[in-house]
Amino acid sequence: MLSLSNVTKKYGSFTALEDINLEFSDGVYAMLAPNGAGKTTLIKMLATLIFPTKGEILWNGDEIVGLDASYRDIIGYLPQDFGYYKNHSPREFLLYMSAVKCMDRDRAKRKTDELIDLVGLSDVRDKKMREFSGGMIQRVGIAQAMLNDPKILILDEPTAGLDPKERVRFRNLISSLSKDRIVILSTHIVSDIETIASRVIMFKNHKLFANDAPAAICGTLTGKVYETDDIAAVKVTYLALTEHQENGKTVMRFASESDCSDMARSVSPNLEDVFLYIYRDETV
Amino acid sequence: MNEKVKNTSIEYILSQGLVKPQTARERIAEMLRTIGFRFIFWDTGYSLFFTAVTLAGILVLFSFAPNNYRCSAAVGVAPLLFLLITLFAETSERACGLYELKQTCRYTIRQITALRVICYSVVGSVFTAVVAAISADSGYEFLSLFPLCLSALFICAVLGLSAMRFLPGKWVNAVFSAAWAFVNIVLPFSLGEKWEAILRNIPIVISAVLAVFGAAVLAYQISKMLSEVKKYAVAQ
Repeated sequence: MLSLSNVTKKYGSFTALEDINLEFSDGVYAMLAPNGAGKTTLIKMLATLIFPTKGEILWNGDEIVGLDASYRDIIGYLPQDFGYYKNHSPREFLLYMSAVKCMDRDRAKRKTDELIDLVGLSDVRDKKMREFSGGMIQRVGIAQAMLNDPKILILDEPTAGLDPKERVRFRNLISSLSKDRIVILSTHIVSDIETIASRVIMFKNHKLFANDAPAAICGTLTGKVYETDDIAAVKVTYLALTEHQENGKTVMRFASESDCSDMARSVSPNLEDVFLYIYRDETV
Repeated sequence: MNEKVKNTSIEYILSQGLVKPQTARERIAEMLRTIGFRFIFWDTGYSLFFTAVTLAGILVLFSFAPNNYRCSAAVGVAPLLFLLITLFAETSERACGLYELKQTCRYTIRQITALRVICYSVVGSVFTAVVAAISADSGYEFLSLFPLCLSALFICAVLGLSAMRFLPGKWVNAVFSAAWAFVNIVLPFSLGEKWEAILRNIPIVISAVLAVFGAAVLAYQISKMLSEVKKYAVAQ
């Protein structure tokens, strides 16, 4: 089990994260928060790129700093800006990464071919990556993170820059990879995690705001979300959430603390509603 | 249970339970075996090319150095292979988008850099010998010039490695290289023949001791880089 105990990260006088307590066991954990909320800071602490100013991060009871290489052995990391070698093929790149991850050569070759197939790059396994689209590069990134069969897979904004088709493909891939490992991903794209996350972690004002199953988080807004095609008829204070077209009319989805069932249709809240509601005062 | 049996049992338990820390030499052997030369110098082809081209240009200039400045020129040029190769290879390593990722692997890029520095130092020493041989008029002059050039190489390597170890940022190597080049240009030009005389008057024993001491400090730094627990921040 991976756990964070009273973790605080400060940069000079700026507090990026304050007093975070979290526990991770197998499953997909999605960190959902606007940009600048501290997601990447936490991800980088889990990947041992930065260290807490206060508190500790423990893997099965041992501090990860002390575990050193044996902790790095069990993590797979995909950074937000995944650089790659333009002049090499994914196969060459994965073989290189497996050497740096201290895998023996036979296992590295087997795992490289297996992962290239898994991420759907079999046809281009020996092509130079300079010809690849953003989605293909991201898939190479996922493959390198999976090389050592990590117990903890850490993905920082993995769907940034992917088109909708690639995002769906990516979600399916993450879902299939999460069976017997901890997958921690950060995103500000709600649709990425609605279906695959077993828990959603939210930060507000640099503190832990929520850590629960998506349904439970959505449940916090039950009875407060409505839809109407006549928003002018709503005479109470409300927070506009989203708009969509339905039968040629613009339907507005809004949240209100007051009962609006006589003016609008009550609907089940989704994660996007919760996100917009919680971060209503922040620039998203 | 008598004392002997007790001690044997304790020794057995300790031998099973304690993992002996790996020495730097064992770590180097393991890394060479696992990673191999091909991947240690992965994607450094361009850096080697730029180093060769720049060095060729500098050597042409070096061949025109006046005889009464041979010693200053040799000391200035001797560390350049090491300096240029670390400048190009390690700057591109830090600037490419994989630096952070490579710090999360079992062998961090910093440990791989330490291995590279060993190779750069060996090649740099050979280059230093060549520079000293070209500059020397006699066997005795070579014997006095070579340890001096070697000292310059190791001082440069120790300072460069310290900068890499303790300073963050992509441009650490570039700034260090510029500073080293600046000092090595300013000294002979500002002090003129005085600088040449200072270098020529350093006894062979002193320069040899300095070279050995520099090599020892460099070896210590490399072993530290290879075995240190990663608790330094890589990212912002």
